Amino acid sequence: MSSSVATMTAAEIAALRERFPEALSVDRRRRWTHRAVAAGIVAYMAFCVWVFDITVERLFGGLGKMWIVVRSMLVWKDMASWDYLGIFQGLAETLGMAFLGTFVASLFAVVIGFAAARNVVPNRIIHHLVRRFLDLLRGVDTLIWALVFVRAVGLGPLAGVLSIMVSDTGTLSKLYSEAVENVDRKPIEGVRSTGAGNLKVYRFGYLPQVLPVFLSTSLYWFESNTRSATILGIVGAGGIGMQLSERMKVQYWDQACFIIVLILLTVAIIDTGSKWIRLNLIGRREL
Amino acid sequence: MLEIHSLEKRFGSVTAVDQVSLKIPDGQMVGIIGRSGAGKSTLLRLINRLAEPTGGQILYAGDDVSALRGRELMAWRARCAMIFQQFNLVNRLDVITNVLLGRLNYHGFASAMLKRFTPAERAFAIRALDRLDIAQAALQRADTLSGGQQQRVAIARALMQEPKILLADEPIASLDPRNATVVMDALRAINREEGITVVCNLHTLDTARAYCDRIVGMASGAVVFDGPPAELTIQAAREIYGVDGLDEALSESVTSTSIGPAPGAAGSTSAPSTRTAAA
Repeated sequence: MSSSVATMTAAEIAALRERFPEALSVDRRRRWTHRAVAAGIVAYMAFCVWVFDITVERLFGGLGKMWIVVRSMLVWKDMASWDYLGIFQGLAETLGMAFLGTFVASLFAVVIGFAAARNVVPNRIIHHLVRRFLDLLRGVDTLIWALVFVRAVGLGPLAGVLSIMVSDTGTLSKLYSEAVENVDRKPIEGVRSTGAGNLKVYRFGYLPQVLPVFLSTSLYWFESNTRSATILGIVGAGGIGMQLSERMKVQYWDQACFIIVLILLTVAIIDTGSKWIRLNLIGRREL
Repeated sequence: MLEIHSLEKRFGSVTAVDQVSLKIPDGQMVGIIGRSGAGKSTLLRLINRLAEPTGGQILYAGDDVSALRGRELMAWRARCAMIFQQFNLVNRLDVITNVLLGRLNYHGFASAMLKRFTPAERAFAIRALDRLDIAQAALQRADTLSGGQQQRVAIARALMQEPKILLADEPIASLDPRNATVVMDALRAINREEGITVVCNLHTLDTARAYCDRIVGMASGAVVFDGPPAELTIQAAREIYGVDGLDEALSESVTSTSIGPAPGAAGSTSAPSTRTAAA
């Protein structure tokens, strides 16, 4: 028996292949499936490039015009005359919209998330109905909800809060329910073995396991909503987005740039803050 | 011959490995014993160069491996295989792929990325698994196996590297006694049949005594005992483990019944301690 890879003889390899056919023989069908999938992806990409008429000239021509915009963004003029009050008010409004929307959506999601988890509600019909309802909330983008709510309750932050709330209830419930479905069964059995009823089992068997996931998910979505609340402003749902879109319409690129920098800073601060919160509420181990 | 000269590793003000000098001839099976925190793991990680020494030298066959960089360093790691207390397999890959990872150093970038392992390598891998009695699990995901099986996969990965030296960092500390015996038997078989030098960290005295040709005792980073198992007296053991640690070291036995009654091994029949050994 050869003791090194280099000295393995053909006879030895053949004998081993005979004994372990699944592990050693090449699965031709699988290999060809892989190749076919790869070819399909490449073909689809090429098709898209062709349909959208993406050409090198158009890409580089566009870059030239981009440069003009970038340059006027970097030169800040007449800074004394800028409407700082409006800008910071808009920023505060956006933060408030994102916070309120995410917070209320999280509260709904705790309940719906449990209801949508297969291990909590084993009834397949209910499970299905809840899931499809969540798909509806989620499948319609926040932006579409914003347009709907602007019509319903008028321009301003309320429409923004409602649209974030509705679409995030869908997203967060789904993410929460997946966390609930992935819990470790052992502690749950442990709690049940003490004679606790269902609700008590949820409270002490499930909740401690899923709470860190719930919290970090919601914190992430708060941050993400701060970003997307910017877009909501553009369709009239209040906040910094309204300020931004007004300035871009009249080509005040320098002020637009200032607002973008403020948004980036805000998001960075939220990110740092939520890291701190996670560290202190969840503990270092889960991170 | 693996030669270690006044090897030292400091973490800030803590000296984890303190002026360790050892000469390990080829083909020896060495057990390093000591309490957790004695510097055993750090010593192995220094030899494999997973950790950088802050002083001293490591020579293998006359070459200074403590000075290697880049490709040569990686080639050294391949020649000096390592297995770990927590197995350190890639859970999401199947068993045979985990074993074939032992060949990464022998492949270029493209063939490694495309997992272009040769038929000889695959056959060698399955034979290694078969010898460790887990070939039937070759296509299973690594995390579906039990601890004892995972450690055997890790040993097969190490064999795949065709190493000169096999470093084992607490290979049985996470295993039950039966699996621990299987793993220790496998390590000894590798040592005897392939002539591979085995350096094995163990925190239990009896296991080291039963399996190793030579025992090195460490305490607070320094070597305090070096000799054949027969010379390991109760006094020497007390120096390695301290007075409090000795009972514990003796009680966590694997095969205390397979060897004669060790001096002072009265505690070896008591139930295994539930203490988790920190690496």
